[in-house]
Amino acid sequence: MDALSQLGAAALRVCEPTSLLLMIAGVAVGIIFGSIPGLSASMAVALFLPLTFSMSSSLGMNVLVAVYIGGISGGLISAILLNMPGTASSIATTFDGYPMAQKGEAMRALGVGIVFSFLGSIFSFIILTFFAPWLADVALKFSFPDNFGICFFALTMVAILSAGNMVKGLLAGMLGLVFALVGLAPIDGTARFTFGIPEMRGGFNTLTTLIGIFAVADILVSAETIGGGVKTIPVKKVKGFGFSIAELFKWTPGAIRAALIGTGIGILPGIGGSTSGMLAYVTAKNMSKHPETFGQGDPEGIVATECANNATIGGALIPLLVLGIPGDGVTAMMLGGFLIHGLSAGPLLFVKNADVVYGIFAACMICALIMLIVEWTCIKAFVQVLKVPKHILLPLILVLCAVGAYATNNRIFDVQSIVVFGVIGYLYHKFRLPTTPFVLCFLIGRMTEEYLRRGLQRFKTFGAFFQRPIFCVFFGIAVAVILWSVYKEFKASRAEKKA
Amino acid sequence: MFFRKYGDIIVGLFYTALGGLTIYLAKQLPKSRVMKIGPDFMPMVIGTLIVVLALMLLFSALKNFKANAAKAEAMPADTSDYKRVLASLVLVVIYVNILAPVGFILSTLGYLFLQIVVLAPDDRRSAKNILLYAVIDVLFVFIVFFLFRYGFKIVLPAGMFTL
Repeated sequence: MDALSQLGAAALRVCEPTSLLLMIAGVAVGIIFGSIPGLSASMAVALFLPLTFSMSSSLGMNVLVAVYIGGISGGLISAILLNMPGTASSIATTFDGYPMAQKGEAMRALGVGIVFSFLGSIFSFIILTFFAPWLADVALKFSFPDNFGICFFALTMVAILSAGNMVKGLLAGMLGLVFALVGLAPIDGTARFTFGIPEMRGGFNTLTTLIGIFAVADILVSAETIGGGVKTIPVKKVKGFGFSIAELFKWTPGAIRAALIGTGIGILPGIGGSTSGMLAYVTAKNMSKHPETFGQGDPEGIVATECANNATIGGALIPLLVLGIPGDGVTAMMLGGFLIHGLSAGPLLFVKNADVVYGIFAACMICALIMLIVEWTCIKAFVQVLKVPKHILLPLILVLCAVGAYATNNRIFDVQSIVVFGVIGYLYHKFRLPTTPFVLCFLIGRMTEEYLRRGLQRFKTFGAFFQRPIFCVFFGIAVAVILWSVYKEFKASRAEKKA
Repeated sequence: MFFRKYGDIIVGLFYTALGGLTIYLAKQLPKSRVMKIGPDFMPMVIGTLIVVLALMLLFSALKNFKANAAKAEAMPADTSDYKRVLASLVLVVIYVNILAPVGFILSTLGYLFLQIVVLAPDDRRSAKNILLYAVIDVLFVFIVFFLFRYGFKIVLPAGMFTL
């Protein structure tokens, strides 16, 4: 009850006009930053940090939370409309969101994405409010081998993604792993596969890779048929958010599962929203009665991804607030915000500055609501983009991609790499190789190696990993997934031969 | 048709070569002196897996070549407009390489206009259309430049044209 009353008091403070106005501004700026690739949530938070100097610590932190929430959720707009993930978190939103938009269902896709972003956020904030200290204890129990177990498990999802043509799917993923190897090796910093090019020592940037493989490749693919006549994408008008109450209930179990995955991954430092979105997507596809519709414009794909990536926010705030450990770039910026305001994130924060902590919890929930309202009111404005004929729209997108890629690190190398990945994406399309395994492997490859080597550094042998129950569970599931997938593939190929 | 008929064989050959190259490069990497597995371990594992999988794909593609070729023959002919694809690719490659030396404004003004013209359907290349493309080009480039430069405080490559 104590938590509830503190939350109520904090909500009243957060709802003061000045605070509300600043949070609306924060969410709006966050959404703009989130929807443009290259401008990330962490950049938006960094930009807002100095502006919070003159505010009270509680108000300052609330504004930063507003920017963070807007930044993560804004990515879905460009992912759905332009096949250009605005942030790495919204990568899996493109899989079904973009096909839906192409079929004229852009408004419905945006509606689904926005509502489930909201629900995912609220779910994780409730967990954050009531279970933060307890969950932080659990997160502390995760060591390198356990994280390796999770990454290994996530990699085996490629097998599920590739059902139907497993060998090709696995090969498609392997190229992602090879690209993840480029740069300085974890721990010892040995330069690998850099071919003497200094810029390659830092490896390929995640966002530029994604922009290349999706947006740039899409331009090349569209060029094949664009000569046939002027193409604009139809936009069907929808009522409300574009889905019925019956559909909402139908999608709820999947949404809860995705929100749990998102919050769970968020709590573990260093894994992040992009992985949680992908994992939730693959799980939803695997558990679905009609997996073949995923990737063709199934709203359940958007439900899973958007719920998970937004639920990651609440999850990521848990180790930040309770232990003072930032899990990714944005939370690291937020930690900077704490320091500026003379607060030290960690167990003492709950004792010394409970008002700030509960203020953040209340701000999280109210910002999620603001995000829902702002994005919903702007849906009609967003979809106007699709009225531009494709032969004009696609080049504009490419310029934005190039600028976005440049803005991530101020390096021309990143701009050049989007072309390389664009060509890879195009060739994948021509040779009918799936791009999802590539993206998943690229995202997780580096982490997997790092956790494996750090684990071995500490525990000396791989056998010692098996003394850790968390590792055993994930490793066991991963092995089961592999065996089950191979069995299913074998059975399917035999059935095909008989037919 | 070509991609459908020979696609898997080409993919198999490419990946066999990639796996081989990965293993070769992994062997050049130093072994770790402090722990059992060094920076060469992961590339070695990945390279080996690639070779095994690629050979599996090649084997099955060659085994089923006749059946797949017959299926590919039955498919409708490929009507893709590779001229536009190639022209777009050439433009993009030139664009990303002149972006730094020439600067964002000039290179984008040139690229964007040419790219729109390349992608425009044949019946949309009249003088009036071209003028419209030029106007869109100039407006878009300057809006993006000023938005990033003064709105987001991100300095785009200035090249020889500074503002």
